[in-house]
Amino acid sequence: MIWDEVGESEAERDKMLLELERECLEVYRRKVDQANRCRAQLRQAIADNEAELATICSAMGERPVHIRQSDQNSGRLKEELAAIIPQLEEMRKRKCDRRNQFLEVLEQIQRISNEICKSTDYNSSKIVVDETDLSMRKFEELHRQLHALQKEKSDRLKQVLDHLSTLNSLCLVLGMDFKQTINEVHPSLNDSEGTKNISDDTIERMDSAIQKLLEVKIKRMRRLQDLATTMLELWNLMDTPIGEQQIFQNVTCKIAASEQEITEPNILSEEFINYVEEEVSKLEDLKASKMKELVLKKRSEMEEICRRTHMVAEIDNGMEYAIEAIESGAVDPACILEQIELQIAKVKEEAFSRKEILEKVEKWLAACEEESWLEEYNRDENRYNAGRGAHLTLKRAEKARAVVNKLPAMIDALGTKVRTWERERGIEFLYDGVRLLSMLEEYNILRQEKEQERKRQRDQKKLQGQLIAEQEALFGSKPSPSKPQSGKKGPRMSIGGANGRRLSLGGAMLQTPKPDLPHPAKLTPHLRPSKKGGLLSHHQDDSCVALSAGRRGLDIAGLPVKKHSFNAANSHEIESPMTRKPFSPLSAAMLPKVNPNFLEDLNKVQGGTMQKTLPNSNTPLATPSKLACVTDEDNRTPKEKMPIPMPTTPSTISVSMQTATTPAPAIATVLFGANKIEDNRTPKEKMPIPVPTTPSTISVPMQTATTPAPAIATVLFGADKIEEMHEEVEYSFEERRAGFVIPKTHVISVVQV
Amino acid sequence: MTGVLPNSAGRELSNPPSDGISNLRFSNHSDNLLVSSWDRTVRLYDASANVLRGEFFHGGPVLDCCFHDDSSGFSACVDNTVRRYVFSSGKEDILGRHDAPVCCVEYSYAAGQVITGSWDKTLKCWDPRGASGQERALVGAYPQPERVYSISLVGHRLVVATAGRHVNVYDLRNMSQPEQKRESSLKHQTRCVRCYPNGTGFALSSVEGRVAMEFFDLSEAGQAKKYAFKCHRKSEAGRDTVYPVNAIAFHPVYGTFATGGCDGYVNVWDGNNKKRLYQYTKYPTSIAALSFSRDGRLLAVASSYTFEEGDRPHEPDAIFVRSINEVEVKPKPRVCPAP
Repeated sequence: MIWDEVGESEAERDKMLLELERECLEVYRRKVDQANRCRAQLRQAIADNEAELATICSAMGERPVHIRQSDQNSGRLKEELAAIIPQLEEMRKRKCDRRNQFLEVLEQIQRISNEICKSTDYNSSKIVVDETDLSMRKFEELHRQLHALQKEKSDRLKQVLDHLSTLNSLCLVLGMDFKQTINEVHPSLNDSEGTKNISDDTIERMDSAIQKLLEVKIKRMRRLQDLATTMLELWNLMDTPIGEQQIFQNVTCKIAASEQEITEPNILSEEFINYVEEEVSKLEDLKASKMKELVLKKRSEMEEICRRTHMVAEIDNGMEYAIEAIESGAVDPACILEQIELQIAKVKEEAFSRKEILEKVEKWLAACEEESWLEEYNRDENRYNAGRGAHLTLKRAEKARAVVNKLPAMIDALGTKVRTWERERGIEFLYDGVRLLSMLEEYNILRQEKEQERKRQRDQKKLQGQLIAEQEALFGSKPSPSKPQSGKKGPRMSIGGANGRRLSLGGAMLQTPKPDLPHPAKLTPHLRPSKKGGLLSHHQDDSCVALSAGRRGLDIAGLPVKKHSFNAANSHEIESPMTRKPFSPLSAAMLPKVNPNFLEDLNKVQGGTMQKTLPNSNTPLATPSKLACVTDEDNRTPKEKMPIPMPTTPSTISVSMQTATTPAPAIATVLFGANKIEDNRTPKEKMPIPVPTTPSTISVPMQTATTPAPAIATVLFGADKIEEMHEEVEYSFEERRAGFVIPKTHVISVVQV
Repeated sequence: MTGVLPNSAGRELSNPPSDGISNLRFSNHSDNLLVSSWDRTVRLYDASANVLRGEFFHGGPVLDCCFHDDSSGFSACVDNTVRRYVFSSGKEDILGRHDAPVCCVEYSYAAGQVITGSWDKTLKCWDPRGASGQERALVGAYPQPERVYSISLVGHRLVVATAGRHVNVYDLRNMSQPEQKRESSLKHQTRCVRCYPNGTGFALSSVEGRVAMEFFDLSEAGQAKKYAFKCHRKSEAGRDTVYPVNAIAFHPVYGTFATGGCDGYVNVWDGNNKKRLYQYTKYPTSIAALSFSRDGRLLAVASSYTFEEGDRPHEPDAIFVRSINEVEVKPKPRVCPAP
């Protein structure tokens, strides 16, 4: 229309239209392109987001659940985008959190590892978080690492503390400053509150410090122990008083201790060791000053050894010289001491080699002793008398005989042993300076001599026996060959026996046997001259039997007449073969029938055995009941025999003999009477003495004449008086002291002190 | 001597008698000690103070003494007299006479009588209240088989030991007859007899180092308990020396007893358990007498030669008072009242 108006040409019009058309198409095309681009952009954004989401998810190790979803509904891009964005936001936030956690852990790890090893560069110095791997696994791994590190740290801390305590104890023992020591290792260690440096380096340094201290400790310990040993030796040498030793007790008791055992504070400190050292040197000084004494001591030790082994010490002169040398200071005493010790060792060695022989020698000497004892014993006539300990001596004799029999063999063995020894060593075996072999020879010679002597004695005895037999043929009586001997022996034995006697100070009863015994002993020799006649045995037996009877304590027994006849009877009997029963036991004396034997016993048993039996025979005295029976028997026997002996008893002769030849007993009785009071003996036991010595009335005048004590006289007049006497004779100490005498029939004498 | 024996022997009393001590006794009321001696005196000491309180002279050696009460006492003298002394005034009465030296004296609190034993073979009882005329004081005289050597009292029982080893047991209320006539179970002369404090028996010592423990009870069971033991002996180099046992003293509390011998030792025994409890160190010479104080805390020991070996030089006579430890006198295994 416009064109009509304008009249545009068709051509133009067409052209215009075409242009129009082209322009329109262009706009359209442009719009479509724009839309297309927008869509593509959208898609791109979604893809981007999804990709990021996927990355994050993969980094965090989680499965991206939504990706598939977006693939399926691809229709609504904007929706999709809107959906994906919050997810992405969420994931991003989570990732950030995770990363922070990682960072934290890593930081810790780094700190710890820093602490642990300052020098070595762990993977640290700055924190790098691997963004790509933030998965839980990795996180856990990191945690584990952290834990391990933490553990290591505590371990190290403990180790450090251990080391510290060790160091502390070491320092204590060694007397060092602990603080200073650890400061040297690391200053932080000294800080008791703050953290301690626990790096490898520190620990290493601590280790080395401990090592160092230990070495020091061991060194010092050795030194101390050496000192202690020396000290002990010195103490021992010089007999240091315990008090002084006590101070160093803690040192010496550690002498064998191991390193661990020494824990006492300061025991290894410099000062203490110096102190001990000082003491030791003091002792050393002392030792030097005492060296002389020591030398002497050692020497006496050596002499002791020599003495024990019966060797002769040959060191004397040398020693004197050595001592002088020490005094003058010319010789080092230690050197001499050493020498002596060497000698001692040598002597000990020799002593050891001699030991076997010495033992044999001991045995030999003991045997010799036993032999000589046996000889002595064999000479003892009383050896078989029963008495206290008699069985023991018998046993000993038996043993001794066995030993003596073994003697020759012993000597032989000893001789060969000694000879071998001498051959081996080429020196003589000296026993106390005398050659043992010569000793043995001497002994052998002595032995042979003894043997000969014995033989000679046997011959003599045989000869004597023959002589007696001849006499017997001549005189018809049979005096026992041993009688003269027993008579001779009697007194000697009784005196000797008195020594072995049981001694009782107050027990007057026990003491009495002593004075008693010599009388019978003396009696017999006095009577012996009369033996020349045929009556000899009568007299002797007579008096002795009487003695025995009296001694048995027939206090109530017997009128003198009766007794006398009884004695006579016995004496008559003696002529019968009964005479000799030499070794009948003493206890048999209690039986009147065995009386004759008693004579022998009396003569022989005057030694120690007597005093034992006497108190026994006294016992019945004290108990009247027993006594009665004894006396009964006594009285009976003579009665039966009375008729026979009376005519034959040579009483008058014997009596006159006695008065003439035995003044001694008579005097004895007189003395006894006079001394009775001041003497300790109680007359009870004495009573028997006058009885036998005055067997008949004829002697009475003599006694009465010489004896002032009326008591004695009464004995002879009647049994009643005897009885009384016996009852009165006992005095207490006070009575004796007061001089109190029992007022008898006529004489009353109360002596006042 | 004091130098030789320091405290181990106990305290030695000053002013001891100048001759042998025959007996000593503690008072029943105090620690006073009465001592009789051969030097013809009776002395009164205060043992705890070690003071000589009094000295009373006699006509002859005094063989025994005893307290009446704390103010007076009795003595038995060789001049045959029995005397009574009043300590405070020194007044002296002659209570009576025997025909021979009087060797022991006892005062019975139960009977109020003085009993004396003499070598004239009699026992006499006296009433101390009687005036000096002996006829009035004498209660009775009782013949003994032998010379009296030692007597001892417990309650109404009186034990008399004489020479010849006789032992008579009397009841003080009936003195006409001995209640029991015995023979010493020891074979040797009796030295001392002392009754158990519980009154069941007596201990008897002999010159031959032995002590017999006897019982009054005559039944078989009672007699089965009696026994004797050896003591105060010495065995030296195979020689046995036997010493007389001069003194026995019972502990008033424990009933254990001490014996003293011529060996100079004092032994303490537990009679029930047959054990020796203690031996004190040796005294210079024989132990002549022993006495425990009333409470048993002190033991007086007379170390004085008793003439057992006749007249010979000897250590000076001395009295030691020793304090007793309970361990020394207390029965050990179980506590028993008395033997």
